[in-house]
Amino acid sequence: MKYIMIICCVCCMQQIQAQELFVFTEPASNMPSKSLGIRTMNGFMSRQTGGTNYHLMPELMWGINKKWMAHAQGFFSSRNTSGLQIDGASVYAKYRFYSADDLHSHFRMAAYGRFSMNKSPIMQQEIETMGFNSGYELGIIATQLLHKVAISSSVSFEKALDNGSANKFPISEADHAFNYTLSAGKLMLPKSYSTYSQTNLNVMVELLGQRLNGNGKSYLDIAPSVQLIINSQARIDIGYRKELYSTMQRMAPNGVILKLEYTLFNVFK
Amino acid sequence: MKNIIKFIIALLIIVPAQAQISKAELIATGLTCSMCSKATYKQLQSIPGVEKITTDLNSSSFIIQYKPGTAVNVADIRKKVQDAGFSVGSLVVDMNLKNVAAANNSSFSYNNSSFIFVETTAKSLHGIVKLKLLDKGFITDKEFKQLSKNAKQYPSYNSQVNAFHVKPI
Repeated sequence: MKYIMIICCVCCMQQIQAQELFVFTEPASNMPSKSLGIRTMNGFMSRQTGGTNYHLMPELMWGINKKWMAHAQGFFSSRNTSGLQIDGASVYAKYRFYSADDLHSHFRMAAYGRFSMNKSPIMQQEIETMGFNSGYELGIIATQLLHKVAISSSVSFEKALDNGSANKFPISEADHAFNYTLSAGKLMLPKSYSTYSQTNLNVMVELLGQRLNGNGKSYLDIAPSVQLIINSQARIDIGYRKELYSTMQRMAPNGVILKLEYTLFNVFK
Repeated sequence: MKNIIKFIIALLIIVPAQAQISKAELIATGLTCSMCSKATYKQLQSIPGVEKITTDLNSSSFIIQYKPGTAVNVADIRKKVQDAGFSVGSLVVDMNLKNVAAANNSSFSYNNSSFIFVETTAKSLHGIVKLKLLDKGFITDKEFKQLSKNAKQYPSYNSQVNAFHVKPI
C-alpha cells in the first residue's frame, strides 16, 4: 500500500508534457502574441487514377494577441498541369474564447473561420477549402490536456462556392458539408527536459471525417504522424493520411504530408 | 566641490527606495511543450529591467532577476505570460522592505501601487521578504475561487484595480 502511495505521489509530481501541435488539425491554443510563424506544407497524394499530385501550401501565421491569431496561405499543385501552378489562396482567423489553465491540466476552446479562393477545376465530390474549393469554413475546437496526452476535437461547417466563373460548382452536387476531427498526441522524448535545445519527439493520430449535407455521402480518414521540434523553435512533421472508408468520389485521399514550420518570437511590437 | 556634488548625486541615485523588488519566481500553468516554454521565456525577456531569467522546464518555473533599481510592475509578468498563451500559477517576489508592519489589510506602497497584506499573521518585516501575490491571474483559478470565498475579511480583495494582495511566505 505504501508503495502504491509513493508511486502515486511520484506520478502526480511529474510535470505533464503532452503536445497539442497537431499535424492535420489546429488546436484550440494560439501561437504566442506578436510572433510570426512560417510554414510550408508539402503533400504527395496518390491519385485514384494513378500517379501522384504534389501540393505546396506555404503559410504565414501571426499571433495578434492572446485571443486572436490569423493565417494567410497560398495553394500550389501539380494536379492540373505537369508543372506547379497556383490554384488559390486563403485567410484564416482563430479566436480563443475559453481557457482554464491549471498546474496539471488545461482545457481550451476556440472558434475559427477560413475563406478561400480557388480557380482550379472541380473534380471531386469532397469539399476542401484548403486547396480545392473556393468557399468558407466555420468551426469550433476544444482541446484538453490530460496527463501525458493532449486530445483535441473540432466540428465545422464548410461551404463550397464557384471556383471562379470558369469553374462553377456543379448544381447536381452537395455544396456544403459537416466536418469533424478527433486528434490525440503524446510526447515521447525527451523523458525529462533540461534545455530548450533538446529535440522533442511527438507521435499523434488523427481522425478526419466529412459528411456532405444533402446527399449524406461521407468519408473518414486516419492520419498518424511523427513530429520533431528542434531548438523549441522549428517543427518537422511527417504524416500519412489514409482513407478508412468513403461513399463519395475523391481525387487523391491517400498520401504523405511533410510540414516544416519555424516560429519567430516577438517580431511585432 | 564638483566632485562632492557628483558624489552626493551618485549617493541619491543608489539610495534604495523604501521597497525594492530584486527577483520574481514564476510558475506558469498551461505550458505543454518546450516551444510553449520558450515563447513564455521570450515574452518575459522583453520586460524592461530584466537582467536574467533562469528556467526549469520540468516544473515550468522561471526565475526573473531584475537590474538594481528597476521599478518593477508585477502586472507586466502576468500580461507577458498571458500574451504567450498561458497563465501564472504562482508568483513570489523578493522584496526588500524597511520595517513594514504587516497585518491583515495593512498596506505599503511600491511603484505607485498598493500592496495589501492578506492571510498574514501580524509582524514587522525588514530586509528581503518573499511575498506571494494572491490576486486573480497570479494564482490558479481554483485557488482564486477558494480565496474569494474567505475574502469577506479583506474588503479590498478582488475590488481595487491598482492594488496587489500579498502574503509573506
